Amino acid sequence: MVPNPAPPPSATITEPLPPLTRSTTLPLYSYRPITTDRTLLAPEDAIYQGSPPRKQSPAVAKAARDLHMTNGPNGTARVSGRTRHKDRPRSGSRRRKGTWKKLLWVNQSYPDNYTDQETFLEHLQRNPRLQPYDFWPLVADSTIIVQHVCSVIIFVVCFVGIFQERVSPVAIVGWGSIATFLGWFLWDWWVGQEESTKPSTTPVSTSTPLDASASSSVSNLLNSNGNGHANGLSSKHSHSASVSSLYSSTSNGHSTNGHSKPPTPPPNHPNHPSPNSSLLSHRTSLRLSTAKSALLIYFTLLGLSPILKSLTRSTSSDSIWTMSLLLFAINIFFFDYGSPPSRSSVGGGSKNIPASLSTNAALMASTVLASRLPSTGQVFSLTLFSIEVFGLFPVFRRYARQRSWRGHVTLTSFLVAGAGGGVGLILGHGGDGNGYFDWPWKSGLLGGIIGVLVTGLVMGGCSWWLIGLQKYKNEIHGPWDPARPVIRRDDY
Amino acid sequence: MPYNIAMVSDYFFPQPGGIESHIYQLSTKLIDRGHKVIVITHAYEGRTGVRYLTNGLKVYHVPFLVIYRATTFPTVFSFFPIFRNIVIREQIEIVHGHASLSSFCHEAILHARTMGLRTVFTDHSLFGFADAASILTNKLLKFTLSDVDHVICVSHTCKENTVLRASLDPLMVSVIPNAVVAENFRPLSHPAYPPSEFGNHMVPVQQHLGPHDTITIVVVSRLFYNKGTDLLVAAIPRILASHPHVRFIIAGSGPKAIDLEQMLERNVLQDRVEMLGPVRHEEVRDVMVRGHIYLHPSLTEAFGTVIVEAASCGLYVVCTQVGGIPEVLPNHMTVFAKPEEDDLVAATGKAIAALRSNKVRTENFHDQVKKMYSWTDVAERTERVYDGISGVLSEADFYGYDAADAASWSATRGRAGVQSFALIDRLKRYYGCGIWAGKLFCLCVVIDYLLFMFLEFFAPRDEIDIARNWPKKIRVENSRRDQRTFKR
Repeated sequence: MVPNPAPPPSATITEPLPPLTRSTTLPLYSYRPITTDRTLLAPEDAIYQGSPPRKQSPAVAKAARDLHMTNGPNGTARVSGRTRHKDRPRSGSRRRKGTWKKLLWVNQSYPDNYTDQETFLEHLQRNPRLQPYDFWPLVADSTIIVQHVCSVIIFVVCFVGIFQERVSPVAIVGWGSIATFLGWFLWDWWVGQEESTKPSTTPVSTSTPLDASASSSVSNLLNSNGNGHANGLSSKHSHSASVSSLYSSTSNGHSTNGHSKPPTPPPNHPNHPSPNSSLLSHRTSLRLSTAKSALLIYFTLLGLSPILKSLTRSTSSDSIWTMSLLLFAINIFFFDYGSPPSRSSVGGGSKNIPASLSTNAALMASTVLASRLPSTGQVFSLTLFSIEVFGLFPVFRRYARQRSWRGHVTLTSFLVAGAGGGVGLILGHGGDGNGYFDWPWKSGLLGGIIGVLVTGLVMGGCSWWLIGLQKYKNEIHGPWDPARPVIRRDDY
Repeated sequence: MPYNIAMVSDYFFPQPGGIESHIYQLSTKLIDRGHKVIVITHAYEGRTGVRYLTNGLKVYHVPFLVIYRATTFPTVFSFFPIFRNIVIREQIEIVHGHASLSSFCHEAILHARTMGLRTVFTDHSLFGFADAASILTNKLLKFTLSDVDHVICVSHTCKENTVLRASLDPLMVSVIPNAVVAENFRPLSHPAYPPSEFGNHMVPVQQHLGPHDTITIVVVSRLFYNKGTDLLVAAIPRILASHPHVRFIIAGSGPKAIDLEQMLERNVLQDRVEMLGPVRHEEVRDVMVRGHIYLHPSLTEAFGTVIVEAASCGLYVVCTQVGGIPEVLPNHMTVFAKPEEDDLVAATGKAIAALRSNKVRTENFHDQVKKMYSWTDVAERTERVYDGISGVLSEADFYGYDAADAASWSATRGRAGVQSFALIDRLKRYYGCGIWAGKLFCLCVVIDYLLFMFLEFFAPRDEIDIARNWPKKIRVENSRRDQRTFKR
């Protein structure tokens, strides 16, 4: 008899799966020695549904009533007529000799449809790798998603601000670049710390020798270029630099700052002509290569801006809004939220494809959005800002989460508040300037507060929901699953 | 009593394969036992219309669109008119479907139940529960098997799997293994068939292997991931490195063949590993008898006919312990390994050592396997299933209840096997398939029933000609059937 609903895939289980013991699957009046605590099913578990109601014999009906009393309302399980033959030998027993074996080559005296109660579904495993979620860790993990959604919202808010000409694009990109630079500075400091504690364990070294040699050859050129540029300008492109190298070696990618090269690495500067000599020069060359690609992207972007501006002139704005919405949705759904396996190897090789899909979608969305803007400067600013937000910021967030949990939480709250406030500001001053609130900061504050509240509720609610859904989890494993071959890859 | 049986599957000759030969062999043996068997499959290239195979086996090739690997496009109802026509023409009583991926088979079972025929389903493969494709297949299987009379599985593991997938009563699932045609898989030293009844009962000579004689390991397998080719690629260099007098012969093709070739080139093993490429089923025996050990690294297997064939050829079998394989052969013929590279290498080493010390009497394997698996036996056991579902065997005999019990419990449902054909009972069975699926399935069944009514009205039964049966030779010996068999 089956106090619990049964295993098959479509089982709609209305209560958490209790541990199935052998004793629960045996009839109450069984006189067979009960082997307890075997996590396996009896045949009756498989036939919980799909068969029409049957007339029950009085004995079975009584057993069902007993079960109902002991198990509560859910105990009205199927007491199929077939439970009878559990404690009663089948007809085959008359000519049966010896025990039944689960073998095909033996000529057994049992009928072909004989089902052995002891061994049937013996190797069935249910939810073997189930890890019950806890509430607070789940909420903590959901901050990663919240962060990403908030950064997308902030970007959209910034675009709306530029589009409605309420915010200067230079201000946005300037603040963004300053923030990016600070982030880079922090990152560089962390990497320095890490390398000093455990030198040469970071996989950065795998990709750097090439970069080093390449960058050293152009380093002089870069130096002159970098110095020739004003700091304020160069700060922007430097960050865009890392995008190109972002997914080739993720940990490397964040070392992005060309612009910082003049101020920050002065101690390393003297070393850089001999790049392969020491760890310091290696890091310097890393920075230099970053600077190179940063400059490259910066000038490319500068050159492309007029073209981008007229990219979608023949397309109506409605299509653009729809398209960018779609692309941002792709960005959010395909973003690589997973935490890297270990601290040193950030971003394993296998996850690269969906991550790059997400980034590309976001960059394309920002490109088509930027093409709606009227002036070249605005287009350039927005594209650069999008590279900072979608290319570099995720890498920093990921790294920051590993380094400091407190910083991660702080960052999340700032992002949530910022996104909420931004949305509040935008709504507060509608298209005609007469919004719901007359004072812009008030609406921003209100938006922030509402944003924080709603986010908190959603995080808690979704976590609670997910935990609630877990009781429906019913994974079935058994000998029919394809085995996973264990192969030592190092051998050949 | 003899039955008129229709075997329905997408997979049949001229396509090669295990299910195809299973259907053919089973049909042939059932015909030998006095039944009438026809096969319904879809049209293959150059193979359309109605064909007769050896022994008077009639094959209907129904023209249908093939979408993927010889599987027809699942159109739930379009098969019904022609199926009904065939069934009435041939006076079919039992519809026996094969293979769970064949949409032909599922549709035939549904229509057969609508027409009031007994149905049997044979499952040949294992499915997981995790991936999306399996979930979909399992749902469809549940649909069909909600209203089937009996299910046959090829191994006990397969039975557990099918019972779980389709939520079946385990008692209506029989385990009847595959078999081999032992005459086609005899060792090199074995006298050719047909043998005189007692003349060839000579004791085979034991072949002695010295410590430096070459041992040949044979692998016959399609080179796919689920056949464990990755394990093979990893294990071969290590086996060859630790055993100098060992050679490999690998037959078969597939997407993983390139990995194998790369491995050979990387390790410069071309002179010790022979790759034959694709081999036809008739030639498998000629490949097998060249070796001493058969290595089978498969990752999932419902039955594993090929290891029985190898043992029948007198090869010592090294195989992974997955799926139904542990049930198939006795311990003295096999060395089991876990599906791990290290364990496979160790097991092969053990097998080589056992052969070198001449502890394994491989020359006896053929006769032992011949006793274990034969198609005649399979046909007899299948016949018992037919007897059970058509009510010839009493319920107590077939399902093993005591008679008193049976009376009370067959009152409503009929019994598990002899299920009611009433539409309302059928709908009840389908309704339990799931919240949404149940209703959808009921809808399908109702439409099917309406279609049946429509066909009965517009293409009445008495306007369909009855096909003449293939004239049968009268077999007096080994037939329990009396003369009325042949009057039909």
